[in-house]
Amino acid sequence: MTGAGVAGAAVQVAAVGAGAPLLVGWMRQVRALLEGRIGSGVLQPYRDLRKLARKQSIVPEGSTVVFATAPAFIAATMLVVAATVPTVTVASPMDGVGDLFVVVGLLLIATVALILAALDTGTPFGGMGASRETTIAALVEPAILVAVFALSIRANSSNLAAIVTATAHRPGDVLTPAGALAFAALVVVIAAETGRLPIDNPATHLELTMVHEAMVLEYSGHRLALVEWGASMRLAVLVGLLANLYLPIGIAGAHAGAAGLVVGVGAIAAKTALLAGALAAGEVFVAKVRMFRVPELLAGSFLLGLLAVTAAYFIAPRGA
Amino acid sequence: MTGVAHGDVARPVGPAPPADGDSPATGAPDGRAERAPGAVAIAGVTTTALGAAGAATGVVAVVRGIGPIHVGSLGPLAGVTLAAGATGGAFMVVVGLVAAAAGVYGIGYGRHGRSSPLQLAAVPAFVATMLLVPLAGSVSTFLATWELMAVASLVAILADHDRPAVRDAARWYAVMTHLGFAAVLVGLVVLAASGRADGLVALTSRAASASSASRDAVFVLTFVGFGAKAGLVPLHVWLPRAHPEAPSPVSALMSAAMVAMGVYGIVRIDIEVLGPGPRWWAIVLVATGAASALYGVLQSSVSTDLKRLLAYSTTENMGLVTLALGAAMLLAGYGERSLATIALTAALLHVVAHAAFKSLAFMAAGSVLFATGLRDLDLLGGLARRMPATTGAFSVAALGAAGLPLGAGFVSEWLLVQSLIHSRPSSGTLLALVMPVAVGVVALTTGLGVAAMTKAFGIGFLARPRSTAAFDARESPAAMLAPMAVVAAACTVLAVAPGVLAPGLRRVLLDTGSSFGAPPHLGLLLRLPGIAGSISPGLIAVAVAVAAAALALVAAVARAGRSRRPADRRAALWAGGGGPLTARMQYTATSFAEPLQRVFDDVLRPDVDVEVSHVEESRYLVDRVRYRSRIVDVVEARCYRPVLGAVATWASWVRRAHNGSVNRYLAFGALAVIVVIAVAR
Amino acid sequence: MSAHTYATLVDLAAGALLLSAVLVVWRRDLQATARLLAVQGAALGAIPILSGIRRGDVQLAVVGVAVVALRAVVFPKLIAVRLRGELAHEREGAPLVNTTASLLVTATLVIVAYALSRPLVRLDASPAARAAPVGYALVLIGVFLLVTRRKALSQVVAFLVLDNGIDAVAFLATLGVPVVVELGASLDVLLAVVILGVLAGRMHAKFGGTDLDELRELRE
Repeated sequence: MTGAGVAGAAVQVAAVGAGAPLLVGWMRQVRALLEGRIGSGVLQPYRDLRKLARKQSIVPEGSTVVFATAPAFIAATMLVVAATVPTVTVASPMDGVGDLFVVVGLLLIATVALILAALDTGTPFGGMGASRETTIAALVEPAILVAVFALSIRANSSNLAAIVTATAHRPGDVLTPAGALAFAALVVVIAAETGRLPIDNPATHLELTMVHEAMVLEYSGHRLALVEWGASMRLAVLVGLLANLYLPIGIAGAHAGAAGLVVGVGAIAAKTALLAGALAAGEVFVAKVRMFRVPELLAGSFLLGLLAVTAAYFIAPRGA
Repeated sequence: MTGVAHGDVARPVGPAPPADGDSPATGAPDGRAERAPGAVAIAGVTTTALGAAGAATGVVAVVRGIGPIHVGSLGPLAGVTLAAGATGGAFMVVVGLVAAAAGVYGIGYGRHGRSSPLQLAAVPAFVATMLLVPLAGSVSTFLATWELMAVASLVAILADHDRPAVRDAARWYAVMTHLGFAAVLVGLVVLAASGRADGLVALTSRAASASSASRDAVFVLTFVGFGAKAGLVPLHVWLPRAHPEAPSPVSALMSAAMVAMGVYGIVRIDIEVLGPGPRWWAIVLVATGAASALYGVLQSSVSTDLKRLLAYSTTENMGLVTLALGAAMLLAGYGERSLATIALTAALLHVVAHAAFKSLAFMAAGSVLFATGLRDLDLLGGLARRMPATTGAFSVAALGAAGLPLGAGFVSEWLLVQSLIHSRPSSGTLLALVMPVAVGVVALTTGLGVAAMTKAFGIGFLARPRSTAAFDARESPAAMLAPMAVVAAACTVLAVAPGVLAPGLRRVLLDTGSSFGAPPHLGLLLRLPGIAGSISPGLIAVAVAVAAAALALVAAVARAGRSRRPADRRAALWAGGGGPLTARMQYTATSFAEPLQRVFDDVLRPDVDVEVSHVEESRYLVDRVRYRSRIVDVVEARCYRPVLGAVATWASWVRRAHNGSVNRYLAFGALAVIVVIAVAR
Repeated sequence: MSAHTYATLVDLAAGALLLSAVLVVWRRDLQATARLLAVQGAALGAIPILSGIRRGDVQLAVVGVAVVALRAVVFPKLIAVRLRGELAHEREGAPLVNTTASLLVTATLVIVAYALSRPLVRLDASPAARAAPVGYALVLIGVFLLVTRRKALSQVVAFLVLDNGIDAVAFLATLGVPVVVELGASLDVLLAVVILGVLAGRMHAKFGGTDLDELRELRE
C-alpha cells in the first residue's frame, strides 16, 4: 500500500461520485442531439439530485427497514466498487481486498437490495419490476463471469489491477479475437447491468416495459436521489472499467505523484466520455427488446464470452 | 382497524388456509395426549449434549487423530473398529455443531408436538449414528453405522405419520436410501475383497494394487450410494419430499448434516482410499455435480413451498461441492497440484458453510411454520414486522445460500471459480473444454440461487401478509431463537473471517492425499498459491460499513446545516387512482418466478392451464379466468414414473394369481413341483 | 510485415469469421444475414491475401482477391437481389430450434471443433494453423444451420457458411490452394447458389412462400 495508492483511491471515489451524474447527463445529451432534440443540458442530473435531496421522502405504510435503508446501502456498495475498480490508479489499497468477482458480487448485491426494497413496498409495480430484474440478474451472471474469465486469462489473475497492468504493458494483446469477443460480450453485459437499451429503457414509465423504474416507483425525496446516484455510479464504474481494460492509457501507477493522478482523472474522463458517447449513439439505433427476448441476448453474450475463453485457450498461448 | 398496529392497510380477508406443514402449533387434534414438555426437553438436551461431545471428539480427531480402537465383542463377525483422521474429524465437528443447535431448537419447537417416545428418541439416535459414520474405521463398521443412520433418520421423518404426504415421503426415502445402501454395500465388499482387508487405513495402501476393473466398479457403486445420500441428480427425488415433510429440527439435521455424510463418503472412500483414479472418474463427478447444481437451483427458483425450496437448494449446493471435488480430481490428474488443492478447499469449505446457512434457513423456516402453520410462500408475507428475529436469521441464511459477498457461501464459491479459471491453456484439451463450461454452470447456479433466495426472503418475509395466518403470526419462543442467533453468528464469522477454519482445513488437506499441494492462505487476505491476487471478505464488509456510515454522516451534517427538508412521512401506497391496494394485488412467489419458469420452459416443463369462462350473454365478456400451474420434478416424471408404472403393472399381474383361494395356492405348489421335476430330470 | 503483426491480423480475421458465423445464427433477419455473409467473405479472403503478402506469393494473394470478389461481393449481392424482389417481406420466422438454444448449441459446436482440431494444431504451430479450428467451427455451424432453418434462402446462407468453413480450413491449415482448384470450387458454389436461388423463386411462385416444410406437399 503506497501513499499514492491511498490518495489515488480517494481521488477515484471522488471522481466517480462527483462525475457519475455528469456522465448520465452527457449520455442523455448525446441521445437528444442525435434525435434532433435540444436536450436539457449535461448538468440536468445534478439539478435533479439537488431537487430530490431537498424534498420530503415518503415511506409507504407497511414497509420495513429494508425499504428505508436500501438506497444508502446501494450507494455505499457503489462507493466501495468505485474504490476497487482501477479507474484513476492501479495502486488502490482496495485492490487486494476485492477482485473482479467481488466487484461483480457487490454489483449483484446492490441489485438484490433494490429488488428487496421493491418487494417490500407490496405494490404490484414493485413486484413486477423485482421479478423482471431478478430474471435478468440471474441470466446476466453466467455471461459476466465467463467474460471475466476471458479477461483474467491474459494476466493469470482476476485482480483488476493485474489485468489492467498487463494490458498497459502489452497493449496489442487486447486486439486478439479473444479480446474482441470479450469486448462484445461485455458491452451486452454492461447494458444489462446498468439497465440501458436494449434490455431496459431508462426513460420509460410504461408498465409493460419498465424494469428499474418500476422498482423505484415508491421512492421519493432523498432516498430516490440516493438510488439515482447509485445507478449513475454503477454506469460510470462499469464504463470506466471497460475503457481501462482495453485502453489503460494515462492511468496512474503505484508511485504516481499529484500530477499523475490529475492526468489519470483527465484520461479516464476523456475515455469514459468517448465510450459513453458511443454507447449512447448506439442506443439511438436500437429498440428495447421484449422481456422474453432478453435471454437470447444474454445467451449471445454468454456465447461470445465462451468463445473468447476458448479462443484465448487455444489460439493465444503465443508468449505464455 | 387492527392492521394499523402493524402498519398494514388491512387484515387480509378470506378463509384461513389449511395448515400444510407439520404444524406443531396446532396441538393435538387427533386426541392423542400432548407430550409432556419434560420428554421433549430431555430429547433436546440429549441431542445437544451428543452434538457437543461429537464436535469435541471431532476436534480431537482433527488435531491428532483417533484410534484405531477395536472392540471385538461388539457386533458379529468382524467386531467394531473406530478410527478417525482429520477428514472424519472435520465432518464430526460439522455434524456435532448442527446437532447441538438443532437440539436446543427442538425443545422450543417440539413443546406442543405430539411425537411418541420412539420418535423423540429417534432424533438423538439419528445424531449419534451420524457422528459414528466418520468414526468408522473399517468397512464393516462403516456399513453398519451407515445403515443405522438411515433407519434412525427414517423414524425421525415419520414424526407426523398421520399425514399422507409424510408417509409418501418416508416411502420414497426408505426405498432410495436402501437402494443406495445396497450399492455402497456391494461396492465396499468388492473393495474389501480386492484389498484383502477390513480396515480403511489398510485398504488405503492396498487399493492401488487392485485391478482397474474392480476399482472402477467400486467407484461407480460407492458414488451411486453416496450420491443418493447427498441428493445428487438423478437420485435426488427423495430429498425434496423428505426434507420438507420432516419436523424442522430434523430437516435441519438432514439437510445440513446428513447430506454432508454423502460428501464424506465420496471424499473418504473415492478420493482418499481409492486414491487417484482415471480421468473419467473426475468427469463423472464434475458432470453429476454440474447437473445437480443446475437442476437443483432451477427447481428451487420456481418452488413456492419454503422448505421444498430449501431442500432443492441442498441438491444445488451438494452439486457444487461434487463439482469442486471432481475439479480437484481432474486438476490433480493433470499435475495442477495447487489448483487441485484450491478446489478441494472450496469443496470442504462449502460443506461447512452449507451446514451453517442451511441449518439456519431450516430453523427459520421451522419458526415460520411454528408461528403460522404455513410453508406456502404464496400465502406468507409481512413477517418482517411480526417476527423480526426470525426474519433477521433467515436473511443471514439466504445471503449465505445466494453466494453473494458478505454471505457465508461466497468464499467457497470464489475459491471454486478461482480453481476453475487458472488452469494453464497448455495443460490439456480436456481441461480447456471442461473448465469454461464449469465456470458457466457455477455462474448460472449463483445467478439462479440469488433469484431463489430473493424470492424466499422478499416474498415470504417482506411486503404485506397474504393470509390471515401470516397476519396473526407472533415471534417464536426464545428456545428456538437462541440457537438461530448462535448459528447466524457462525454464518457471519464464516462470511467475514473464514480464516478461523484454516488450521483445521490444513490438516484435512494433508490427510487427503499426496496429490494435493500447499493449501491456500486463509488469513485476513485470502491468497492462493501460485496465483497473483487476493480478496478479503472481512475488509469488504468493513469497507461497505464505512461507506454507509460516511453517507449517513454526510446526510446528518447536511440536515443539521440546512433543515429546509421536511421530515420523512409515512403514507399509504400510491394505488394508481384505483382505491386502496389490497394484499391480494401483490406479486406472489408464483408470479415472481414466472419469467424464469418461462425462460426455462423446456427444462421444467410446467403444467400450465388457463381456463377462461364467459358470461352467458356474450362470449366476448369474461366471467372468470383460472390459472393453474404445477411443476413436477421432471426427473421423477420421466425416469421414475415409467419404472414404477412397469413394476405396478407387473405386480398387478402377479396379484391376479393371488385370490386367497387355498386350493389355488396348492395348485401353484403342485405345478412348481412338476416343473422342478421336469427341469431336474 | 513482422511475424507478430501477421499473427495478430490472421487471428483477427479468424475472429471475424467466427463472430460473423455466430451472428448469422443469432439474427433472423435475412437482409442482415446477407450483410454478415459479406463480412465473412471479406475476412475469409483476407487470410490468403495476408499469407501471400507475408511470403511474397502472388498466386496466393490472387486467390484471396478472387475469394473476396466472389464471397464478399457476388454472393451477398445475389441474395440481396432475391430479397429485394418478392421475398423482401420474408424473414426466418421461427427456426426449428429457438434462438437461445441455437446459441448454446453453437457454443458447444465451437468447443467440439476446437477439440477435434487439436491434433492438427499440434502438428503445425504456425499462427495460421492455430486458427484452423475456426474453419471447423464454421463447417459445424453451417451444418447446424442447414438442419434447423426453414426458409430456402436461409438454407443458401447456411450452405455458404459451410463452404466458407471448408475454405477457411484449407487456407489456414495448408496455406495454399491452387488458383484453379479454388476457382473451380467457387464456381460450383456459385452454381449451387444460383440453382437454390431459382428454386426459392419457383417455390415462392408455386406456394407463395419459401418455407421448406411446404415441400412435403410434393410427396403426394
